[in-house]
Amino acid sequence: MGMHTKRKVWHVVMIIALTLIALMYFYPVFLMFMNSFKPFGEIVADPIALPKAPTWENYSYVIDKIKYGKLFLNNVIITVIGLAGIVAFASLAAYILDRRKTRYTKFVYTLLITPMLIPFQTIMITLLKAMSVIHLSGSKVGLGIQYWGFGIPMATFIFYNFMKTIPRELDESAHIDGASTIRTFISVIFPLLKSVTVTVIVLDVMWIWNDFLLPLLMVNSSNNTKTLVLAAYTFVGQMNTKWQYAMTAMVLTVLPSIVVFVFLQKYIVEGVVAGAVKG
Amino acid sequence: MGKSKKGQKEKLENVLYTLPAIVFVTMMMYIPFVMSGYYSLTEWNGISKTPKFVGFANFIDLVTGDKSYLTSLWFTMKYTIFFVIVSNILALALAVVLTKKFKGVNVYRGMFFIPYIMSMTIVGFIWKFIFTQGFSKLFETTNWGFLNLSWLGDPKLAFWAVSFVGVWQSLGFYIVLYIAGLQAVPNDVLEAAVVDGCNGRQKFFKVTLPLLGPSFTTCIFMSLTNGLKVFDIILALTKGGPGGSTYSATLQIYKVAFTDNNYGKGSAEAIIYFLVVLVITQLVLKGMSRKEVDL
Repeated sequence: MGMHTKRKVWHVVMIIALTLIALMYFYPVFLMFMNSFKPFGEIVADPIALPKAPTWENYSYVIDKIKYGKLFLNNVIITVIGLAGIVAFASLAAYILDRRKTRYTKFVYTLLITPMLIPFQTIMITLLKAMSVIHLSGSKVGLGIQYWGFGIPMATFIFYNFMKTIPRELDESAHIDGASTIRTFISVIFPLLKSVTVTVIVLDVMWIWNDFLLPLLMVNSSNNTKTLVLAAYTFVGQMNTKWQYAMTAMVLTVLPSIVVFVFLQKYIVEGVVAGAVKG
Repeated sequence: MGKSKKGQKEKLENVLYTLPAIVFVTMMMYIPFVMSGYYSLTEWNGISKTPKFVGFANFIDLVTGDKSYLTSLWFTMKYTIFFVIVSNILALALAVVLTKKFKGVNVYRGMFFIPYIMSMTIVGFIWKFIFTQGFSKLFETTNWGFLNLSWLGDPKLAFWAVSFVGVWQSLGFYIVLYIAGLQAVPNDVLEAAVVDGCNGRQKFFKVTLPLLGPSFTTCIFMSLTNGLKVFDIILALTKGGPGGSTYSATLQIYKVAFTDNNYGKGSAEAIIYFLVVLVITQLVLKGMSRKEVDL
């Protein structure tokens, strides 16, 4: 009985401590939300108190000012283009590289995954020059396409490791039925890659959606092509004393990620773990 | 004849279906990488048509010149060491608690994970607001001395502020990795330890920890590479200041190339950065893979 009660007390103490830590940890995020509902004077007077009379005024100003709808759409376009190419090209390449073991495919595998060792900052200076030569800088589509080159190495690696677990008998029987290689890949193999495709999508969406440096280099010159994070960066820089607008712009930037996370927590966490362990 | 035709076709397919991946990786990674190597040997402002070849002058300048690059490398080292150690210890401790069964555990996990899915730039801005506005207000009410310090204005303190925010942003990521590792420790092994007379602490340090080897490798490696890459958070928090005290290597490369328009020198810094990252990550990876314990 003594042992049991002691355990229970210890458990309760631990939960209370954890709750305090979690609340403190999360407080900055809460603070940002809270201040976005205050008028200017109130933020300056007391940045840490709850809003006295919450107002949506900052939101209507900022949504209009930064053209939130358009920025959101830009982000969607760039992310979808990036994702489509990465998933399609990396999974197809990984399929061939796993199924056909020749000198050529071994060489290509090394060629495709080695760039994981090159940090982006090593190539960013010359990348800008190279991309402007082939007209991929300064446009949303161009930026989306650039993500193919940066995303394919890791995605190929993840798809390749998973490919081994899919029995070859499946391809062979499809082949006997007369299906071509590409047909076999699309209708037999790719559907079986669902779980690993989710991993790749989770990792790449989180990366592309929030990416800062590549968009800063490539699409910062025009308001038409800016991404959400980039526009928020500029806007907050201009509003550096008008905290009420800055806070609202920040909330609007992170809100999509938070909403998606709340609904898809399980998949996102699983994807992140799988990506880290395999990558 | 039929066989060789099939062989030919397969060869063609091998090339065709890997080609898109090869083309884009080459365009975005290999070509710029080779160009960086070349430009690091030149003096070039990005505007003039032909860069002037200067041999290793840029590299020599990095060591003998104003030392700002070496300072930024040193900052990056300090930041990374702090980041790796603190992230991993805190994440493991929290993961141990968050693998226990209690009501709403997923909400707790979510609260720690949310900063990780937010843009780092925004994280930097939130904390800038807290350091400059929130702290002074908190100081009025609590009178705690540390709240009255100029965390972003004093070169010594700015390092700790930046490092702390870096850990705060990504702690949730390492927590979920350790949770996954802890859940993978087989129950029968833990029960056997109890039967053999281990108490709670012994069970954790003698059984669980050694079996977490793969999680340690992953988390330390990931935190190492992420620490070495630090950029967005610093740009939003301090822009490298005060007095250049929080320039990371990546931020320094960015500044030299795009603010000072010194592309040659920037490329030289980029190449050195690549080599430093490569050597450190490979050494750490080798060192750790030897230490893992198998069941």
